[in-house]
Amino acid sequence: EEWDVSLWGARRAFTEHVEKLAELVEEKTDGEFTLNISYGGLSNNRENLDGISIGAFEMAQFCAGYHADKNPSITVLELPFLGISTLEQEREISQALYEHPAVQEDLSRWNATLLMPSPLPQYNIVGTGEAPRTLDDYAGLAVRATGGIGRAMEEVGAVPTSMTASEVRQAMDSGVITAASFAPHAHMSFGTVENADWWTTNLNPGTVNCPVVVNTDALEALPDEYREALLSSVDEALDYYVTNYEGATMDAWGPMLDEKGIEQVTYSDEDLAAFREAVAEPAAQAWIEENAARGLPAQELYDFVTGMVEQDG
Amino acid sequence: MAGPTNILSDGSALSRLDRALFRVEGWLALIAGLAVLGLMALAVVSVGGRNFLGRPLSGYVDWIELAMPFIAFLAISYTQRLGGHVRMDIVIGRLGGRTLWAAEWLTTLLTLALAVALCWGTWQHFGRSFDWDMPRFSRDSSIDIGLPLWPAKLVVPVAFAILSLRLALQLWGFGRAFARGEERPVAVPLIESAAEVAAAEAAALERAGR
Amino acid sequence: MTSLEMGLWVTGLLLVLVVLGMRVGFAAGLAGLAGLVWNFWEKKDYAWGELGWAISVAAQQAGQVPHSKVASQALSLIPIFILIGYLAYHAGLTRALFEAAKRWVGWLPGGLGVSTVFATAGFAAVSGASVATSAVFARIAIPEMLSIGYDRRFAAGVVAAAGTLASLIPPSAILVIYAIIVEQDVGTLLLAGFVPGAFSALVYGGLVVGMAVAWRGLGPPVRGFTWGQRLASLPGALPIVGVIAIIILFVYNPFGDAFGTPTEGGALGAALILVIALAKGMGWRDLASALLETAKLTAMIFTIIWGVLIYVRFLGFADLPSAFAGWIGGLEQSPYMTLVLILLAYAVLGMFMDAIGMLLLTLPIVFPAVIALNGGPGVAAADSPFGLSSVEVGIWFGIIVVKMAEFCLITPPIGLNCFVVAGVRDDLSVQDVFRGVTPFFIADALTIAALVAFPAIVMWLPRLLLSG
Ligand code: NA
Ligand code: NA
Repeated sequence: EEWDVSLWGARRAFTEHVEKLAELVEEKTDGEFTLNISYGGLSNNRENLDGISIGAFEMAQFCAGYHADKNPSITVLELPFLGISTLEQEREISQALYEHPAVQEDLSRWNATLLMPSPLPQYNIVGTGEAPRTLDDYAGLAVRATGGIGRAMEEVGAVPTSMTASEVRQAMDSGVITAASFAPHAHMSFGTVENADWWTTNLNPGTVNCPVVVNTDALEALPDEYREALLSSVDEALDYYVTNYEGATMDAWGPMLDEKGIEQVTYSDEDLAAFREAVAEPAAQAWIEENAARGLPAQELYDFVTGMVEQDG
Repeated sequence: MAGPTNILSDGSALSRLDRALFRVEGWLALIAGLAVLGLMALAVVSVGGRNFLGRPLSGYVDWIELAMPFIAFLAISYTQRLGGHVRMDIVIGRLGGRTLWAAEWLTTLLTLALAVALCWGTWQHFGRSFDWDMPRFSRDSSIDIGLPLWPAKLVVPVAFAILSLRLALQLWGFGRAFARGEERPVAVPLIESAAEVAAAEAAALERAGR
Repeated sequence: MTSLEMGLWVTGLLLVLVVLGMRVGFAAGLAGLAGLVWNFWEKKDYAWGELGWAISVAAQQAGQVPHSKVASQALSLIPIFILIGYLAYHAGLTRALFEAAKRWVGWLPGGLGVSTVFATAGFAAVSGASVATSAVFARIAIPEMLSIGYDRRFAAGVVAAAGTLASLIPPSAILVIYAIIVEQDVGTLLLAGFVPGAFSALVYGGLVVGMAVAWRGLGPPVRGFTWGQRLASLPGALPIVGVIAIIILFVYNPFGDAFGTPTEGGALGAALILVIALAKGMGWRDLASALLETAKLTAMIFTIIWGVLIYVRFLGFADLPSAFAGWIGGLEQSPYMTLVLILLAYAVLGMFMDAIGMLLLTLPIVFPAVIALNGGPGVAAADSPFGLSSVEVGIWFGIIVVKMAEFCLITPPIGLNCFVVAGVRDDLSVQDVFRGVTPFFIADALTIAALVAFPAIVMWLPRLLLSG
């Protein structure tokens, strides 16, 4: 048995759980069941759910925010200022949400079963020029930020600008934008840190949620031992992912900032509380309203997530 | 690229259908051209907004991505009618008479098979993004400002459907030319050498440039 | 059947379809679709009951490609560049440019030839894609040259050769297409094209002067323009200067403080030309005809793009590109030797095919091989046989193959530009044009050899502007 797996880009911290999963499954089945991982060869990153639904490949990764209308239920985890602070917490809450019946139903339209999350740390902003040391300094700052984070930036007077990730470096070097918001690994792979002057350490406006899904029919058609080998490997693969992300990426991140002489901007608790108040509540209300109109139990999903965050805190 | 001069017409049903379809194709191509102008205007607004008003156009990329399929697909059949899609004519350019029409008929048939398959495949792709019961009928939206994508996905199967009609007409045309052994049949693009094509185009541009 | 064999069979099918005269984009799409059906059916061990399923999955998988690949911001440069070219014709800019060049540099030996080269280069700087540049200049420049006693073949050769400049001097649709297919940065490639393009134009100009000096009577100078006449010729050519300025501002960002992206720069250039064309009295009919021409050329290019990308989608399921890259990377001979062989293959192919079709059809397989030749993805400049990082080699190779494709336009026996010039002029045979273009042909071969031997010529400007 061989499954095709559609990822995109290059092998990186963001894909290590899938690589680990392939390794574990192959081990457990003595090489009888293999995952054939393709980086971009099978589909576009925004068409991975379509490919799963067609049955063109059996496993895929995607990010909810790429196409909110395809998967409205999981975009709740992309709301700004949910207060999630660690990868472990992001993982735990994502996994719990993926078990929610409304979420499973939402994804079942695509014949997709949620297998595991790809937990990412909170986005933060890398920029050039004078650092915005208070939130007032954001007025007029041109920043590349999408979705909920873009709306959060608008709240403090910044000007969110859209462009594809691959255009960001050039836009920043040439001054079209002065700042960009990404997770640290993406800041490194898209090169935004190369000529940067500052980095916000604790703005933490939110992140993207990027599940790995499998084709439901293929999963059900799998012989029991293979399915067992696959499902029992998820936790170990995620452990490996989190350790690796914190190790490989975050351990390199701090020294890299120092080496490039990038100023680390840290905001006071009062500043952050004010920001949160201005952004989080209206964004959450808007999300609930929009998604209730789609027939989702939006309030319930939101309470589910915030409830779990509070429990942890 | 072939100019419109190399397609003959007469009073036959085939030729009349050809010209009727060509009118539709011409309008669609013009819409594609206007969409290019729209793209241009969008960029002007975006640059002006950013540099003079300190306020870039929100969702600029999303709008471009929505417009591009209209630009890329609406003229596909128009271009096929004029024989404007690139091909290698080193072999076919040496054929004549019935052999030529047989070869043209065969490749047209294969193209029709592709167009019909893609018409269905792209329609399915549209179908996954469209839902009567959702706000704005949308089941797929753009990354930045959440524009519904179904109009841009719908234009593709529509273009392939019209292309399929065009190919069916050309199949008829080539088939008739083969059956009658015609030298210069109507309603199908006749082969011109690249030099003839470029000369015709230059002449057209010269006229326009004056 | 291994997926590699499958890849080879389907690629063979594609070649047969192309040779049969099927339109290139459709042939690639059909081959890709057939390959996808085969791939999915093989998964079900060719069970007859599953054939319908395989066809449906393949058609849906292929059916995603046209929309999703075309809805791209980077590709939006292509229709814009095309529109600029057509609007510039309609605004009468070609003639104005030639007139200005004649008054300013006509006094040189071979002055009208030099003017033709510079006017064509200037037009190349605003025109993204044009099959008709040579034809237009054949109509504008050749009669003037003949009227003052130019050698017929010489005049024809200058025009045919100068017409090849359009694709290298930015903006260039073909460079944009290359960038999309191999996933390189569009702005960097446009930047990298500038020096080789300008260099080619200077080589042509120098060659014209040198030949006119060596053989008196080949191309007499035109004298006698007053400074007043010279200045009077400028306003007509000014829009070109404006567009070039906009493109320099947006693509090259010389002040480090930019106004926008290359996409926006192209669009602004088009807007400027449109305003001028309207001011010069362009009516709705002319505008509509420019829009129709733009739509047609755009549809032609995009059909090849999505068609080839369906074939590439199939290649994602087969292993052909990586197998070919592995084979090329594992060859015992010098990487330079292999690269030269690849370029020779392009030289042959380029004689039979349109440049855009040729690049699109071959790059999905050839590009990974060139990267492998350079030591693989992520290789550092110091460890590479060409002294280039994997990103840089992508840019360098792009400029070389585009120059190569241009070169094929004047390569005997079927260089297209020579046929075009002969086709426009009743008094010139194809042999005349080929003979006239021979010196330029030799100069181009030397230019390409220099680009291959000294990658720094290509990389100098991008390195300079992107490093700091
Ligand atoms: Na050009
Ligand atoms: Na002639």
